[in-house]
Order: sequence, then structure tokens, then C-alpha cells
Amino acid sequence: MRWTLPGRLAVTTVALLTVISTGCAPSDDSSGSGGVVELTFWGDWSGEGEQQFRTMTDAFNKTHPGIRVEYVVQEDMLTKFLTASTSGQAPDVMFWDRWRTATYAPKNVLEPLDERMKKDGVERERFYGEAVRELTHDGKVYGLPLTVDARALFYNKAHLKEAGVEPPRTWAELEQAAIKLTKREGGKLVRAGLSMDDAGLFSMYLRQAGGQMVTDDCSRTTFNSPQGAQTLDLWSRMIKGGVYQTGFETGLGEGTDAFATGKVSMIFTGPWNITTYRKYGKDLDFGIVPPPAGPQGDRASLMGGFGLVIPRAAKQKDAAWEFVKWWTAEKDNALKWARTSLNIPGNVAAAKDPFFTDDPFWKPILDTLEYAKVRPACAGYPPMEDDALIPNLQLFLGGKATAQQALAKAQEQGDRVLTQNNLD
Amino acid sequence: MTRTLATGPDIRGPAAGPAPHRRPPERSALGRHQARAGMLFTAPAMVLFLVFTVLPVAGAFGLSFTAYDVLTPPSWAGLANYGRLLEDDTFLTTLKNILYYCAMFVPAMIAISLVLALALSRRLPGMAIFRTVYFIPVVTSPVAAATVWAWMLNSHYGPVNEILGYFGIPGPAWVGDGSTAMVSIVIVTLWQGVGSNMLIYLAGLQNVPAHLYEAAALDGAGRWRSFLHITWPSLRTTTFFVTTLSLIGAFQLFDQAYVMTKGGPGNTTLTPVYQIYETGFNRLQMGYASAQAFTLFIIIVAVTVINMRVNRDQVPE
Repeated sequence: MRWTLPGRLAVTTVALLTVISTGCAPSDDSSGSGGVVELTFWGDWSGEGEQQFRTMTDAFNKTHPGIRVEYVVQEDMLTKFLTASTSGQAPDVMFWDRWRTATYAPKNVLEPLDERMKKDGVERERFYGEAVRELTHDGKVYGLPLTVDARALFYNKAHLKEAGVEPPRTWAELEQAAIKLTKREGGKLVRAGLSMDDAGLFSMYLRQAGGQMVTDDCSRTTFNSPQGAQTLDLWSRMIKGGVYQTGFETGLGEGTDAFATGKVSMIFTGPWNITTYRKYGKDLDFGIVPPPAGPQGDRASLMGGFGLVIPRAAKQKDAAWEFVKWWTAEKDNALKWARTSLNIPGNVAAAKDPFFTDDPFWKPILDTLEYAKVRPACAGYPPMEDDALIPNLQLFLGGKATAQQALAKAQEQGDRVLTQNNLD
Repeated sequence: MTRTLATGPDIRGPAAGPAPHRRPPERSALGRHQARAGMLFTAPAMVLFLVFTVLPVAGAFGLSFTAYDVLTPPSWAGLANYGRLLEDDTFLTTLKNILYYCAMFVPAMIAISLVLALALSRRLPGMAIFRTVYFIPVVTSPVAAATVWAWMLNSHYGPVNEILGYFGIPGPAWVGDGSTAMVSIVIVTLWQGVGSNMLIYLAGLQNVPAHLYEAAALDGAGRWRSFLHITWPSLRTTTFFVTTLSLIGAFQLFDQAYVMTKGGPGNTTLTPVYQIYETGFNRLQMGYASAQAFTLFIIIVAVTVINMRVNRDQVPE
């Protein structure tokens, strides 16, 4: 043993290094056998999502004999994309969380699609305008919307009936309903009338009050305003009314979700939860209404969703465009995707299909989408919310800062974060 | 790979240092051969360390003087990143948070792992089982464990507060409240890490010569006095090792903060590594993230050196 071990070790090391080095070496032959163009499509959805993607790639491959799309799950897709785009290993099509466009488009790593859209007669108007806006930078469109979502008010029908309240349509009704729906036992909160866990919803409330988060050029914050104060005033009245306590929902995930288990009577959330909550069947009788209007009747909601983009380093851009166009711009395919994945498609004609408009759960979300807006599309905005605004709002919700202190501090820090992160 | 957890006491901490009675190395043929074998054994680790640790660290140092977003070539920025650090409230907050965390975590880690090791070093039946039980959290995925803990610490429905409620104690909101969020993370990371340090202490305890205890007993020393004058001084190198590793690990806290609190509420659990990750990977400011990382590195080195000095100054018995 003594004599052979070091030798064996050396051999193993060499073998290992060989594996590592060959594993890293480029080993692609994109345009493979018989003139068929091979496309690589990256996404970070696995499990059910992967099946849904494969349904679409299979359908595309069947109708396009010259192109073969292969879906590849990339768990840590963006990190992989960073290294891939510099080493020429980029995929041809990528599933894209739209809000990241503002950070990536200025770096010239995404392919602008305007000319291809013009040539093939794909008008921007086919899609939800806000979703296209989120994929736009400096007037150029860098992707097409695949899904759209918007926050709306989900409510527990049984709780509302028992408390004798109607689904709220205004802030005043929301406040009253939340207070009436709340249950306490010996001072301890056992049922919260309204979930107030997500301080990030501030931007939605603010716009309902008629306010704005940042200036149009995204250079300064504008939420420290009468409308911002009005928002926190509403929050503070509800908290004083006993509606919520911080920490009430921490650690509760799917399966122990506070709304699904009846610990919360109303919650602002998105259509991604419709499928989750429907799984509870009879145990959870819920309804959805568009978010209540603010004091002056303003309506607002937060839009999010995904798109498809083509990296600049893609090798098969023409075929990639065919695939993107087929999936998002052609109504039938967009609808097939929507029904397969239970997501509202970015394609407006497909979204107006009876499958969604006749459904009591999807209809209110569609109505909300009419006025929902995406986050301001600048690189500094997400860090501003994360580093400056939300922490200060959490301090306010936890009773550790007054509304004025929280807004003033958030403004001061937020302005700095905007300047620092908008630079490049 | 013949070692199992049950024989834990054999495992010696790498910094346990030379045992007092080791003979000077002999330059025999066998010795030379062993030295060669030793080099070969360490070579793969050293090569990997060089390629995947030393080189990236040097690279990060270089990048910290540039503006770099991975996607386009870096451009020279001089000391701009470090200048920006001085005005970065958020990064300063993360440093304060991590010092607060270390101040709670490290002493508690030493105390608990030492007490556990002392309790489990007695030769009683079933000790191997206990050792295994305390070690299990070490091999548990931090993310999975943190997810479960976040639920257990829920203010209204978590088992922890339910149990406290039985005894009439109103439990705090734990991760939901800025004043207890960091304490919650300390609890979870202690639970997760105490097992490995307990093993190191168990190993250290094996090296304390039994005759010292016999002599002390003859002189009429009680348990506490034997601990104070024999066990604790004999474990000095072990304690140094445990403290150093705990400190370095503590400064790099990320998983639990990411899973349990997302740095909240109100940035009270935001850690430097969390912020570095955000800056680098979500905001594509690798240059600035490198400057943050390098600053953290300097702080860790400084704290480790202080820790070494403090330990060296303790007069050996």
C-alpha cells in the first residue's frame, strides 16, 4: 500500500484534471446534421415549467423541419449567461425576467429586434404596451413578452361573508374590511384581515394615491410626498386597528401559506397563486378583485412577467427570431402556451380569449392589467427599492420609525443609490 | 476512510500543534520517503487551492480598481470603488451587523461546543449516538435547515413560540422583528455549526494527559479547579483553532440571512457577503463588489491577527 498510494494519487489527479479541462472546452457544433439548424434555448424553469417549455419546443420542432430547438434548464441562468456571453457560448434564445432588461440592454449583450419586427410586420401593439416598454431601452426593443401578471386583491369568500363585508373597491372600504376581518384572541392575532408582509407593495399604493416613485428620468426619488405620507397613513391606521403584526407570515411557504390556511383574509398577490390556491379546492373558497382605488379614485397595480430575448452572441439569430416570433407574436401559439402553463400571455389577442375572459379568477387580473404598470425601467431602480426604501418601510411597519422618518431616510438613501447605480 | 463519527476523538484539529513529547524528525530513508509521499498527497489540494483560490483572490484585488460588469472589458477606475465604499451607508450597516453577529456567535460557539465535548467525553454507553446526533446538523443543507427554522420561529404559529407559550412566556417575533432577527440567525447557525467544533474539542480533550488530573486530584482539586487549571489551558491551541475558524466563518455569513430574512427587517440582518453578491451578480458591478470583498478580506485578516495576539499573550501554565 505504502508504495503504490502516492502513485495512484498522482494518476487520479491527472485523470481528474483531464476531465475538468475537457469538460470546460468548447464542444459545440450548432448547425448539425442535414442542414437542420440547432437552437439552444435557456431557461431557469425546471419541473412542471420544464414540461411546459418542452410542449412548446416540441410543437415548434414539428412544424419547422429546418429548425430544432432544445430546451436546456440553467439553474443559475444569469451567472451562466455572464460567463457564456464573454466566451462565445451564449444560447440562441433566453427566457427573460423582463425587469432585468434595464441592467443588461445597455451592456450590448441583447439583440435589438426592431428591424426584424418591421420586416415581418410584427407590431408592438400586438403585446401589452407596458410589457414591451419594460423590454425597451433607448427606443429599441430587446425582446418580446411571453407572460404578463399583475397584483390584485385575493379574498377569502367565507371570511367576508361571515364578517358581512363586500370585496373592497376603495381604500376606505379596504381599511374597514381589513379591520372587521381581523380576529384576535386574548390580544393575540389569530387572523389578519389583510396581509401587510410585503413592504414592496408601497409602489402600488403610492400610485393609487396618485404619487410617483421616481422622476421620469429616474434620477431622483419622488415618494417622499403627500401621497407617500397618505400611503403610510393608511398602513398605520390599519396597524393601529390591529390588522397586522410583523412576523405573522415569516417562514410560511407553499403548503403553510397564510392565505391558503385561512390565517389571512385578504392579500395582494399575483396570478401565479391562482393555480396554487385552486389546489386547496373546497377548503379555500376565494375570489379576486382588482386593487381598490385610491382616495382620488386612481387605480394602479404592479405588472411583472417574462419575455424571450436573443443574446447578441447567439449564433443562429434568424432561426432564433423565427422561434421567438412563432411563440409570442402568433396568437394561436401564445394561447397554447398560456393554456399549458396557466399564465396570461403577453400577446393581447391571446389574452382576450374566452379561456381567460370567462373565468372568474382570470377576469379580474385581466381587468387589472388594463392599468397595471411595470417598475421604472432604469438600472438604479431595483437597488433603490432593495437598499433604501424597503428597509426603511420595514422599520416603520415594525414600529421603529415614524412615517416621516422612514420616508425622509428612504429618500436620502434612495437618491444616493439611484445616482450610484445609474452610472453605468 | 476507516474513520467514523464514533471514533471522533482521534480526529485532531489541524492547528492543535505539535504534541509536547514528539521526537525530532529523523532523516532516515523512510522519513524522506514519507516526506515525498506527504508532498504528493498535498499536491492536488495545493494545486486546486492555487488555481481556484489564490488566483481568483489576486484577480479580485486587481478588479477592485476597475469598473467591470463581466460583459464588457474592465476599465481602470483607480480608487473610485474604495472612495464609494466610504460613503456607502448600506455596506457600513452590513459591517456593523456582522460585528454584532460575531460578538454573539463566537463566544457562544466556544462555550457550547466545549460544554458538549466535556459532557460527551465521558466513557458512558450511548455516547457515540449523542455525538452523532449533535453532528447531524453539520451535514444538513444550510438552506433547507434555514427554511425549516424560519417556519419554526414564526411568531404566531411556530413550534418554538408554541412551546414558550406553554410556559407562559410570550415569544418574540424572532426573524420578523429587527431586534431579534440577528439573534434568530445566531441560534440557527449555532445549531448548525456546534457539532464540528464539538468534535475538535473532543479531539483536544484526548490530548490532555491523564496524569495531570490524577496529580490535581491528589492535591485536592475539585472538578472546577481541574477544569480551570488543567483542561482550559491545555485546550489553548484547540480554542485558538475553533475561535479562528468560527470568526472567519461568521464574517462570511450568507445562507441563513438570505433564506430566513433576506437581510431584513430594516437591513438588520444584511451581511457583507449578501451585499457583495447583490452588487456583483444582480447589479453587475463586479469592480465595486471586488472592492467590498477585499475590504472584508482585510477586516477578517485583521481580526484573525488580533485573535492570534490575544491567544499568544495568554501565559501558558
